[in-house]
Amino acid sequence: MVATVLRLRYRILGNSLARRPWQLVGFCFGILWALGILTSVVAGLVAVAVFQGLEAARATVVIGGSALVLGWVLGPVLIAGMDTTVDAEKLAPFPLSATQIMAALTATGVTGIPGIATSIAALATIALWVRWPLAAIAAVVCIVLGVLTCVVASRLVSALSSGLGGNRRGREFVGTIVLILLIMAGPIVTGTLALTSTADVRDRIPRIADVLGWTPIGAVWAVPADVAAGQGVSAVARLLIAAATLAALWLLWARALRGAVTTPRQRAAKVARSGALGLFGRMPTGGVGATWARSLTAWLRDPRYLRQLLIVPLFPLLFAFTSGIDGFMFSSSAVLVALVLCLSGYTDVSYDGTAFASVLATGIRGRDDRLGRLLGAASIGIPLIVLLAVVTTAVGGRLEHLPGILGASLGLVLGGYGVSAVSSALLVTPVAAPGDSPFKSVPGQTFLTGLLVFVVMGACLVIGAPAIAFAVAGFITGAAVWGWVALVVGIVVGGGAAVLGVWLGGRTLDRTGPDLLQRIRAFPTT
Amino acid sequence: MTDTQMVPALQLAGLVKRFGDKTAVGGVDLVVPAGSFYGLVGPNGAGKTTTLSMATGLLRPDAGGAWVHGVDVWADPVRAKALIGNLADGVRLFDRLTGEQLITYTAMMFSVPRDQIAPRVADLIALMDLGEAAGTIVADYSAGMTKKVALACALVHAPRLLVLDEPFESVDPVSAANIEDVLRSYTSSGGTIIISSHSMDLVQRMCDHVAVIAAGRVLAAGTVDEVRAGESLQDRFLSLVGGRHTSEGPQWLRQS
Repeated sequence: MVATVLRLRYRILGNSLARRPWQLVGFCFGILWALGILTSVVAGLVAVAVFQGLEAARATVVIGGSALVLGWVLGPVLIAGMDTTVDAEKLAPFPLSATQIMAALTATGVTGIPGIATSIAALATIALWVRWPLAAIAAVVCIVLGVLTCVVASRLVSALSSGLGGNRRGREFVGTIVLILLIMAGPIVTGTLALTSTADVRDRIPRIADVLGWTPIGAVWAVPADVAAGQGVSAVARLLIAAATLAALWLLWARALRGAVTTPRQRAAKVARSGALGLFGRMPTGGVGATWARSLTAWLRDPRYLRQLLIVPLFPLLFAFTSGIDGFMFSSSAVLVALVLCLSGYTDVSYDGTAFASVLATGIRGRDDRLGRLLGAASIGIPLIVLLAVVTTAVGGRLEHLPGILGASLGLVLGGYGVSAVSSALLVTPVAAPGDSPFKSVPGQTFLTGLLVFVVMGACLVIGAPAIAFAVAGFITGAAVWGWVALVVGIVVGGGAAVLGVWLGGRTLDRTGPDLLQRIRAFPTT
Repeated sequence: MTDTQMVPALQLAGLVKRFGDKTAVGGVDLVVPAGSFYGLVGPNGAGKTTTLSMATGLLRPDAGGAWVHGVDVWADPVRAKALIGNLADGVRLFDRLTGEQLITYTAMMFSVPRDQIAPRVADLIALMDLGEAAGTIVADYSAGMTKKVALACALVHAPRLLVLDEPFESVDPVSAANIEDVLRSYTSSGGTIIISSHSMDLVQRMCDHVAVIAAGRVLAAGTVDEVRAGESLQDRFLSLVGGRHTSEGPQWLRQS
């Protein structure tokens, strides 16, 4: 049964790679990258085994192993997205017990590319214990436990983020909260490390390893070192922690799955009062007003859009933790936020999914569509950026820089809206479907479209460059006038780019609309 | 040809669409007279949805053209699409909006004057029996309700031509009967409907014209009586399309 599910998963992978050459290229790069990392890890482990003693081996394996477990938990959520080719919801119709489903999912996790790489890296740690045969034997057991812990923990997070509660609103709410917490975790950890790293780091590594060795993420990796050092009691205690961790993760996962499988896609009971038209009751009739209302509603309610707004508080927090609120970076964080926000709509049509057909069917003029989307994004983006610039410069005590920072940010974000108006008439990328977890990985994302982000970002920077240059001139010379020049230049150049983008993007969309729809329909759906 | 009755509501000429090396539609010609209720029937994968997508400006044909009341869909899409009410199959709606918001939004997209939008939306919601669900977001609708709200969106700007791809799929019989009445009164007042369906009974009952399409080609087209030539539409369809086999099904499936 497990073998059938494994075959199915590789058949799906094979089919999708065979159909999409560019995805195959990306896949090959991924494998090369994994091989490169793996080679250096194995080489490093062998070097430690040959040239260093027990303490170094312990520190290496415990810290590395803990990082590995954390990576399995956070990686899919933050970077790679969840692999949902085979998940509990899809296996639910088959007559499989919950335990069989979990066994099958664990097996697919272990035999995926990350699973194989993790297993090889973990097995390579045996090299550390060649001088202590008993420890090497213990290591084999621990490696099995450790790899399983990685996979099961990752599956648990995936089940939690996609299936918690079963009800759509609950799932989206929990998903957003988890995302915020995880994003906040980054700056907090960085900040804590920055605060505590005043003493010599070298002395602290063994102590860090020792502490980690008693935590659920590190215990399993510390057992062989204890065996090697002859600390029997400590080894048994740590093995118990590791086994208990795996058991607890497994039970939690079983519970989360029971919720997800038995109550899939429950219908929300909450009903808006009829006549509650929201923005659709207020915007003027016509293509621009309709698109504006739809776009702004999405920016305010759709988790896939909200996710992009999370970076607004993220940057200032990050800089506050790392360089303090009186630092230069903190008070200019509005510029960086603008740079990221201006990219947010670069394939805006992708988020419509096949609902773009209903846009196309209305025969809306391209420029009306572009203008509506731009107004929707700007209605939320511009106030946020202005607010952020005012708050960070006021808190940081650098109000004299406000005009310059405002000019650079507005130049970037307005220019970005113009560039997006054109790029989103040319490009579509696979994105999570509306209502899906925004953490879910989407198949069909290709290497080429990944590279195009940089082209779009380059164009935004070029348009923002004049305002940024005047703002920088203001910071260097200290003359307030340059800040005001930057503000005027930013609004004029950025605004001009936005107008031009709407015109050019509109003409492009009139031509490319049906082709965009055809490409969206060809995206694989999971 | 200045008389509007003479210009067909929809004319398709030589439509071809290939996906890779598979020809989905291989030269479809069709004339849908103004005021007719036109049925498009064919087996799964016959090219019905592909043909209708090309006719409504959603899918660019590899060859051929489409004219709506004489307006070239691919040369002047803005004017042509304003004449069409389109219920496409197999595409999402903006399903994060409530039913009421979605119909209002569609009316705005077609520039229906603001003071007419609310009464039209109210009428459509009553017509589709969606009153209780008006404030629920469309993602939480059942399949039949989703179909009905999509149909309401196709009607809201009072188009001259309705293109309905599988409009009655998963719609309950009561709503279907109500919608049928409305569609009949629409055609009797001069509107034109082209409808694709798998249900021969429905087409024979509702439509005055029918085209049988299979493997991307039109096998027969004309008034329902011409096409069925004395047989029932069901029997005529099966003899045109072929592929019917009589069997009791595999032995292992039989329960006794």
